[in-house]
Amino acid sequence: MSALLRLRGQAAGLASVARRALAVSLLGLVLGGLASLAATGFVAAVEWLNDALWVSARSRMIHGDWPWLPWVTVAVLATGGLLVGLLNRYVLPGGRVHGPPDVIEVAQSGHGRLSLRAGLASAGAAVTSLGAGASVGQYGPLVHLGATLGSVIARWMPAGSAALGTIGIGCGVAAAISTAFNAPIAGILFAHEVILRHYSLKAFAPITVASTIGFVLTNFVFETRPLFRVDVVPEVAPAEFGAFIVLGILGALVAIAFMRAVVFAGRLARASRLPVPLRPAAAGAALGIMALWTPEVLGIGKETLRFAIIPDAFSAGELGLLMVAKIIATALCLGFGFAGGSFSPALVIGALYGVLAGYVAAPLVPGAADSISVYAICGVAAVTSPVIGGPITTILIVFELTRNYELTTAVMVSVVFANLVSYRLFGRSMFDEVLRARGCDLTMGRDQLVLDHSTIGAYITHHFVEAHPGESLGVLRDRLVAAEATEAQLIDGERNYLGTITLSRLLVAIAREPNASVDSVSDWDDEALRVDTSIRAALKHAESNIGEMLPVLEEGGSNRIVGVIAQSVIVRAYRDTMYGIRREEHAAP
Amino acid sequence: MRRAALCLALVCGAALAQDDTQPLNIATWGGVYEDSQRKAYFEPFAAETGVPVDTAAYSGGVDGLREQVASERPEWDVADMTMADHRQACEEGLLEPFDRGALAAAPDGTPPERDFIEGSFTRCGVAHNVFSVVYAFDKRNFPGAQPYRIEHLFDPERFPGQRAFHRRPDALLEWALISYGVPVADLYSLLSTDRGMRLAFERLDRIRDDIIWWSDPAEAVELLLESDVSFAMGYNGRFFDAAVVRDEPIEIVWDAQVYELEVWGVPRGATRPDLSRRFIRFATRTESLVEQARYIAYGPTRLSANRRLGEHATAGVMMRPHMPTNPLHMDRAIEKDVAWYARTRDRLDERFDAWLAAGDG
Repeated sequence: MSALLRLRGQAAGLASVARRALAVSLLGLVLGGLASLAATGFVAAVEWLNDALWVSARSRMIHGDWPWLPWVTVAVLATGGLLVGLLNRYVLPGGRVHGPPDVIEVAQSGHGRLSLRAGLASAGAAVTSLGAGASVGQYGPLVHLGATLGSVIARWMPAGSAALGTIGIGCGVAAAISTAFNAPIAGILFAHEVILRHYSLKAFAPITVASTIGFVLTNFVFETRPLFRVDVVPEVAPAEFGAFIVLGILGALVAIAFMRAVVFAGRLARASRLPVPLRPAAAGAALGIMALWTPEVLGIGKETLRFAIIPDAFSAGELGLLMVAKIIATALCLGFGFAGGSFSPALVIGALYGVLAGYVAAPLVPGAADSISVYAICGVAAVTSPVIGGPITTILIVFELTRNYELTTAVMVSVVFANLVSYRLFGRSMFDEVLRARGCDLTMGRDQLVLDHSTIGAYITHHFVEAHPGESLGVLRDRLVAAEATEAQLIDGERNYLGTITLSRLLVAIAREPNASVDSVSDWDDEALRVDTSIRAALKHAESNIGEMLPVLEEGGSNRIVGVIAQSVIVRAYRDTMYGIRREEHAAP
Repeated sequence: MRRAALCLALVCGAALAQDDTQPLNIATWGGVYEDSQRKAYFEPFAAETGVPVDTAAYSGGVDGLREQVASERPEWDVADMTMADHRQACEEGLLEPFDRGALAAAPDGTPPERDFIEGSFTRCGVAHNVFSVVYAFDKRNFPGAQPYRIEHLFDPERFPGQRAFHRRPDALLEWALISYGVPVADLYSLLSTDRGMRLAFERLDRIRDDIIWWSDPAEAVELLLESDVSFAMGYNGRFFDAAVVRDEPIEIVWDAQVYELEVWGVPRGATRPDLSRRFIRFATRTESLVEQARYIAYGPTRLSANRRLGEHATAGVMMRPHMPTNPLHMDRAIEKDVAWYARTRDRLDERFDAWLAAGDG
């Protein structure tokens, strides 16, 4: 009988495991499929616009006999910029385009909620920017769009929760990267390394499914071509690995110059006092004029990227010039409010840098002259990985695009040194620096951020000893003694907080002047906690207050008291939050 | 209704044929290609209508057509042009509009819209075969290692010898850029940049001194066989005829073949447009296309015709493996971007001529 029961128990356990596995697969399947479709549609829309608006190389050649072509480009960019500027000003929450930093912030803070409106409007702004030929990247917007879909749908599901929302974000991101790069493993790692920053099995399983779906859809359903294909990879000579270290270190400097330029352009835009809607329009017009001399600065720069791995396609002078031009163009576009990422421009800048490094290495390093394309790819990796803050992701993207072991080893060397230098001199990534500028510091991990986003609301006690104006000291003392409390909160008839009275002060006052009223002994807590105060702020507040029970007021500006919170409870709230983070990071499915 | 229209067409045709036994003048490409046309549909058309077919020598471009249309009484009744030239001519208004409804259905009744392969119809005409530009080499010149990739054409050290090319940028620019390892899908967007163009001409510079130019497609085979030329660019059908039908010592290299459609069109202001259209209807029937494919290795544009491909009329070899569309030849095949050519022809020619002139100086 007991054996039978045990068997039944085991069967039930198995069924529950099967149900969970099915749920995980379904989540990954649905979110991955949707994010992948969105990414494919996004890329197709940009390509279509590039052709229709005479931005793509082919359409520029076809219409090249038209003397007004350069001015059409200026007009298209300025108009596109104006549209994006209007979106920034009137539609987007916070008056700015949202992107990967927002995804990271939401995933790290643990609430898992991305705004659908911000996601769709940002994607629209990015399609407009890229379609008009702005020098920005497409992967950032793809990541944000995928993450938004993942977050919204996962939270909307029957068992939707904050934790599920975060997993949904991971799924959307992985599928977007897997689709865009045709690199499913890199998709999984990007979601973990750059966005979630932990590797719990519970998140890993659906994210893997989502990434695979992205790969399957691109390869077998849409049959889209990978962005960047390297067919022939030359041999790497042993001595060259030394060169790749130097290439990585200098590549970090290029990446830092690029990131600093973007930050600087942002400051310039604010200092310019141009109205928000006109900023991208001005940048667009400037870019269009730049394109008169260097059409390579337009758009994603696929052609330049392709030429970079052809030996002798560029002279050293051209490489340097184009590199600087692309940095300026991208900084201008991103700083002045065009919507888009920084990854694709970093790819182009990195490729140009890598070839230049190869030219320099050719007479110095044996074997370098024959492997310029290897230098180009190492340059790409050395510049992009500090920008996205994803060394492992970058290595895997290269591996999945080239499927070449030797090359990946070379890239690995450049990437780690680039990240090392960049981390010291700049920070973890462009994304993290953007967040830090907004007051969200992730250098020491996510704990602070989660504490910032968790409130004390759930920890408030609504029972406390009340004192009313005009009451005598003795009555209050008796009440405190009876309640075994050490503090009373002084409130008026409307329950407005007037001050806190501690038992010790009360006793001192009674000894001095037994007939006085309680009004004279209250202490005003001038920065009283409120229901929506974060746990981090409450902890800080508790440090500087000696009282045991702290009053908690309503949200907003009113003075009405809601309850009190004990210092020990704030510590418990802190402990609970930390435990929650650890639980999420080590959750099993 | 349809039957009535058909009767009317026949009656008109008969009437035309009775009134007018002036030969129909068709601009086409000469050589074995014209022979295949003669056997497949020029002669049967004459037999059916009583209107004999005359041909005018044509070897690409739109200049000839432009002059004829300008003269307001074009000598040509029908022009057999490549898709790139045809589209350019159509955009310039040098061709009459064409009604695809006038075409014959497949033997099983499939309407032409579903029987012709994608991209066959234009505003001014209908495509009738797929041909491709490839290079062939003289086997006698390469007793050792033989060329098999497009890169080898631009490698005079490994594969020395003269190269006979058509004096046009077409296919040459594609090959030159592809030889850098550029993927086919990116080819035209890279060729659209100044840098791409420059790289292509730099490749051509490498073999500049080895190039001999031809202007008539028939010369390509002649040069290979009768002179010292090692490589020749040319149309696959003519190379097939020499290599397979006549068993000459040449070999076709299919790598990076540039394939394109061949299109019928009626010059603007042609004097007998109804007769011209009737000819096009006749020449694009499934039977006509199948018959032509018995003489030359150009793939028919009708699916129904492709299903009926058989052996060569005299050589007794199966035609299917020699067609440009055979999957074995499609690995790095380049579909000629005819829209691109139609809009950039003058600038391409200008740049090509400048490159030619730079070599003369």
